[in-house]
Amino acid sequence: MSEQSLVSDGPVLGKTDPVLRAEGLEKRFGGLVATDDASIEVERGTITGLIGPNGAGKSTLFNLVSGFYEPDAGSVSVNGVNVTGQKPHEIADQGMIRTFQTPRKPEGMTVREALLVGPHNQTGESIIPLFTSPSTVEQEERRSLEQAQQMLERFEIGDLATQPATDLSGGQMKLVELARGMMAEPDLLLLDEPVAGVNPVLADKLAGFIEELNEEGITFLIIEHDMNFIMRLADPIIVLNQGSVLVEGPPEAVRSDERVIDAYLGGPSE
Amino acid sequence: MSTLDVGAYSPREKGVVGLLGALGALLLIAVVTGFLAPAYLLYLVGLSAMYMLLSMGLNVQWGYGGMINFSVAAFFGLGAYGTALLTASGSPISGGVSPVIALFGGLALAAVLAVIIGYPTLKLRDDYLAIASLGLAEVVRIFILNESQWTAGSAGLTGIPLFFSDWPVLGDLTYPYVFYAGGTPVFNMSQSVVTSFLNVVLVTVIVAAVYLFLRRIHQSPWGRVLRTIRTDEDLAETLGKNTFAFKMQAFVIGSLIMALAGVFYSHLVLFVSPQDLQPITTFYVWVAVILGGTGSDRGAMLGGFTIVAIQQGTRFMTDTGALPIGAAPLRLMLVGLLIIFIVRLRPEGILPPERELIWPDSLGGGRDE
Ligand SMILES: Nc1ncnc2c1ncn2[C@@H]1O[C@H](COP(=O)(O)OP(=O)(O)OP(=O)(O)O)[C@@H](O)[C@H]1O
Ligand SMILES: [Mg+2]
Repeated sequence: MSEQSLVSDGPVLGKTDPVLRAEGLEKRFGGLVATDDASIEVERGTITGLIGPNGAGKSTLFNLVSGFYEPDAGSVSVNGVNVTGQKPHEIADQGMIRTFQTPRKPEGMTVREALLVGPHNQTGESIIPLFTSPSTVEQEERRSLEQAQQMLERFEIGDLATQPATDLSGGQMKLVELARGMMAEPDLLLLDEPVAGVNPVLADKLAGFIEELNEEGITFLIIEHDMNFIMRLADPIIVLNQGSVLVEGPPEAVRSDERVIDAYLGGPSE
Repeated sequence: MSTLDVGAYSPREKGVVGLLGALGALLLIAVVTGFLAPAYLLYLVGLSAMYMLLSMGLNVQWGYGGMINFSVAAFFGLGAYGTALLTASGSPISGGVSPVIALFGGLALAAVLAVIIGYPTLKLRDDYLAIASLGLAEVVRIFILNESQWTAGSAGLTGIPLFFSDWPVLGDLTYPYVFYAGGTPVFNMSQSVVTSFLNVVLVTVIVAAVYLFLRRIHQSPWGRVLRTIRTDEDLAETLGKNTFAFKMQAFVIGSLIMALAGVFYSHLVLFVSPQDLQPITTFYVWVAVILGGTGSDRGAMLGGFTIVAIQQGTRFMTDTGALPIGAAPLRLMLVGLLIIFIVRLRPEGILPPERELIWPDSLGGGRDE
């Protein structure tokens, strides 16, 4: 079949301008090999999908590239900078921001307050400038507030700005996470199951927002079980199975690939 | 908005201010009617201020950043011993240093210890700091108790000068000090009243300065990152924040404020001993912060004040002989009741934080409460 040939056996490597490149990553938890010689590249400007059955190691891969887990082997680079072994905040500073599979709720914060944590290297995050250059802090803060409001309005949740960030529906929470990530002005956003538990109408909206942001230059790597969602958005799609990359290719081809179907059905993967 | 603005008050805060005002008026009446010695009232004010400082310090660590520090008494003690060892005539080390300089000695000791305990534990998660600080408090106390060649051991340090002892004018007052108005003597004051008064002025300045300092760093991007760390450290990391650095800063600042309370205490009671480092102080300060409202500077102050009110009020009540119970058991009973009250009725404390941590000037006209 001609479609089959579009699907690469294992990852497609050697892309021209990858934002993220992970090579030969390995992670064991005791006897369990969660990530087994996994390599991926995320090309700048794409929305790359990452799918695979439960327990395939998708979230673990996110944790490895974002610095939350230390890999037992392999390397990670972001924007051409080797970040293997760096702290999560150092990797974030390179322009890669992630979200978590279970939404993180900042307790005791309003939505806009949570968004204001996003921007990197704010002057007011150091103590001395709070006293020596309060006007700079004020200007930055004003700018961030405006930006936060615009971002919320863009995601059609402008009215939530002063609501407690914990009093949101699951879908709204995902939108706030996306908005907060955007406040950090990332090159690459990693989203772990952005529409899990989100109603279909909102999921549709979310897909639209992601497409828009992508057109504006943000690269995405998205883990998602919702096939309609991911097939509509992502190209290419990387399929992970038992800790390593099974295949990679365009959505339609991946969807009908025998190996992928077998992996999802739990069958043998040869 | 001026920089000295202390912020708008919520209805609850107004209620608390009203209550405190009434209590203040009551105490004044007690002094005027001769029921309470003026010097004692001033001493009480000093003691409350000291607890306010301790609570504010712990609030920076626990309330802002979620760090569990069971070493409050140790940092307090380092401040107290730091200044006492440098200034006291009975000091086995040096003595005779001006209190204004010795102040920094106390602070430096606390800062060094904060870094030593914070460096290994703040990199780790969760409860390591709590465990380590629990041990640290005892290590410091027992060190002071045993190393008497440096610390005078269980005898404690005597001969600590007043903070103002070597200041021009203030250090040379003669007693009883006669206050003149237009050439005629109006009233004269005993030494104890004058020194207590000066101490109150000193501690008021310290508390106000600390409060304004904290207010500025709290309602800022810095405070906001700490609030994020408190609820979810991973989240702060993914947003590019060096959580270790933020926690370390907050930990050191909190410890310095506690040491400041210790420095003041030394020059208030003019005697320090290992007794002052008992873990019960740490316990009281924790109750104060939680009662006041974790995360709120004003709450911490209120909590600190309440603790002193209970400590001293119980003494007062039993002194009058009106109660068939001793001061110590009554105190513990009241603190116990207070804890039950907090847990059952107001787990968030009396004045929980209500403000967004956004630089106030940038919110334009009017704050929204
Ligand atoms: N911290 C951990 N300790 C031990 N085992 C872990 C840990 N994290 C993940 N695992 C295991 O590693 C494997 C991969 O888990 P991972 O969460 O990466 O899967 P996933 O592809 O994200 O699955 P899902 O689609 O269900 O989210 C699983 O078997 C999981 O139990
Ligand atoms: Mg997962």
